[in-house]
Amino acid sequence: MLPKVDPARGLEPKVVDKAEDFETFLRWSFVASQLVALIVLALYAWRGTRFTRESAAGRIGTGMLLGMIGLALVWISQLPFQLLELWWQRRHELWNAGYLDWFLESWIGLGAEFLFVCFWLLITMALAAVLRKTWWLVAAPVFVGLALLFAFVYPYLVESRAAPPEVRGDAVVFARRQHTDPVKVAVEDWSDFTSVPNAYATGLGPSRRIFLWDTLLDGRFDDREIRVVLAHELGHHSRHHIWKSVAWYALILLPLLGGVAWLTSRRGGLYTPRAVPLALLALVAGGLLLQPLDNAVSRRFEAEADWMALETTRDPAAARALFRDFTREALEDPTPPGWAYQALATHPSIEERIAMATAWERRNGAAR
Amino acid sequence: MRLIVEDDLHRSRLTVLLRLILAIPHFLWWNVWSILAFFLAIVIWVVTLIRGAPPVGLYTLQASYIRYTTHFFAYLFLAANPWPMFTGRPGYPIDLEFDPPQRQRRLTVAFRLILAVPALLLAVCFTGGGVFTYGGGIILTVAFFAWFACLVRGRMPSGFRDLQAYSVRYAAQLFAYLLVLTERYPDVDPASTPAVGVEHPVWLALEADLRRSRLTVFFRLLFSLPHLVWLVLWTVVALPLSFVTWITALAIGRPPRVLHRFLAAWIRYSTHLYAYITLAANPFPGFTGAGGSYPVDPVFPAPERQHRLLTGFRIFLAFPALAVNGAVGLLIIVSAFLGWFAALALGRMPASLWAAQAYALRYSAQVSAYVFLLTGRYPYSGAIRIPSRS
Repeated sequence: MLPKVDPARGLEPKVVDKAEDFETFLRWSFVASQLVALIVLALYAWRGTRFTRESAAGRIGTGMLLGMIGLALVWISQLPFQLLELWWQRRHELWNAGYLDWFLESWIGLGAEFLFVCFWLLITMALAAVLRKTWWLVAAPVFVGLALLFAFVYPYLVESRAAPPEVRGDAVVFARRQHTDPVKVAVEDWSDFTSVPNAYATGLGPSRRIFLWDTLLDGRFDDREIRVVLAHELGHHSRHHIWKSVAWYALILLPLLGGVAWLTSRRGGLYTPRAVPLALLALVAGGLLLQPLDNAVSRRFEAEADWMALETTRDPAAARALFRDFTREALEDPTPPGWAYQALATHPSIEERIAMATAWERRNGAAR
Repeated sequence: MRLIVEDDLHRSRLTVLLRLILAIPHFLWWNVWSILAFFLAIVIWVVTLIRGAPPVGLYTLQASYIRYTTHFFAYLFLAANPWPMFTGRPGYPIDLEFDPPQRQRRLTVAFRLILAVPALLLAVCFTGGGVFTYGGGIILTVAFFAWFACLVRGRMPSGFRDLQAYSVRYAAQLFAYLLVLTERYPDVDPASTPAVGVEHPVWLALEADLRRSRLTVFFRLLFSLPHLVWLVLWTVVALPLSFVTWITALAIGRPPRVLHRFLAAWIRYSTHLYAYITLAANPFPGFTGAGGSYPVDPVFPAPERQHRLLTGFRIFLAFPALAVNGAVGLLIIVSAFLGWFAALALGRMPASLWAAQAYALRYSAQVSAYVFLLTGRYPYSGAIRIPSRS
């Protein structure tokens, strides 16, 4: 049981109000955009099969085209919301890049999504040709294997530079304290685009990495706070969160794909391209339904990593300062409403994180 | 306005050798006349805006200028042999025939320069830096290789001559449009150019369906991404196999049937894909390069015996065709760029742009087929009407 804390202590009331306003807008924009996406996909599932006439490709090629068209329609439907969110973030000085940069980025991202959906359909439709209704039983392990492969390869794909020597030194010391092998730390340059601080742990085995955004190292966060971030990310590695995430992904994927197979069976199953629009709707709707579960798992991992950071740095004051700075610098709402917390939050709330730091302090005393 | 081709392909080696020097007086005269034509164009523009038709006297004078330009370009770029007259009088082997002046819509006259922008972009493909520069693009690339061919053979290759005639005709149409002699938009359809029309074993079976889905047009490049990935993978396999084909063809005198079939499918697939990316065709292509599966579909001959010496030096022999293909490739790209806007607005591809793309794709398929030993016949660069499947 976490102690009751005041997350706004040490923060000016107008900063807290600003953070709440900022996130409220984004939450409702998200809700509206998801509703629109679902409507678009529902219409596409209903009428989208007419696009088969735009294809001279075979069964799988036509399925790929239908998959890409579905994503393209969703992309178009999301543009107004994304523009609005960009405008909102620029207004709050959290996003520095221009609209054209954002559009190009979005366009390139859509291309990557197209490639992904084509690859996904290639596997599922090929399996459906052999296994018909039970394709999903084999597809799920295949996708889990691919997720593992991607988790392993991803750190090598990120453009980054070496972290400052003192950060790398801390990483070695912290790895020893967390009884894990040393992990490489690198810096990603994001300050041209955004001022939002961020860091993440990724990779498996020899590819394990911690990436810090340069927005975290621009002087707004002191060394003690950066150490907390570093220890938190290292905690993800020492507690094997990447492996566990893939395991959860497998658990969620199996019923999701089973649901897609069941729903599309009335259209001939994913063997036929005509089922692809419906499969897209089922995947997106299923993903949204399962998101609270996914978020709950993620919050559990993040809370564990926070605890590891406290155990490693033994500096709850720095942790509290860091979490309050997230509200000040990234406009994170310290106390989000319950529904938003369940539906959207991948991390514990700022209030919970501060409470955990306080709980650790009460149990262990102020170590520093 | 029509292009007349009465050239007999014969070339005097001496005048070909000295062509650039012999063209100097014409070059000077053409510049002087161009300045005069520019100022006259302004006068014609004003008069046509007021009266709705160009004045007959000035029309005739400007028509002579365009005819002279055509003669001069044809001579300079080896599309014709005799030294042209300075007056632009009819009778040259590459000549123009003008209709009498006709009424023009004042709105198209008023905005003539703006309306001409797409045509000017296409002109870059033919003339390089633009119609008012003196080289580059298709016309100079062809002239460069034709110069050597004419010196050696005393004859202009018919494909090169026909391609030069196509370029010259387009430039003449653009001049006529810019100088307000006609409101007829420059037509990039190669079929409108008189040509020898050589039969070639590699040809393009076409379905002239100009309808385009606006949604797939808008996302055309991104929709092509999985195909581009697949093409790269296929190419990685095809290139070493083409080397094996070459070695085998040197040994047994013809490409092995299985490799011929594989390479034909690869080239067919790449043609399908280029046609899709450049909007020359509408449907999403298949991934196998199956014959008869696509509206723009190259047809290749069965494996045939080929001269070992020509096979041995194939890559060197193909060099002029590859260079011309590079120049012609710009025509596909610019047509695709313009066609993208047109197809988004109209839901269909403009017929002349489509025809130009089909021509360029056909030539590209012939060049690939020659390089990769699917045929021993040299690519024909002439802009002939392509046999249509429907």
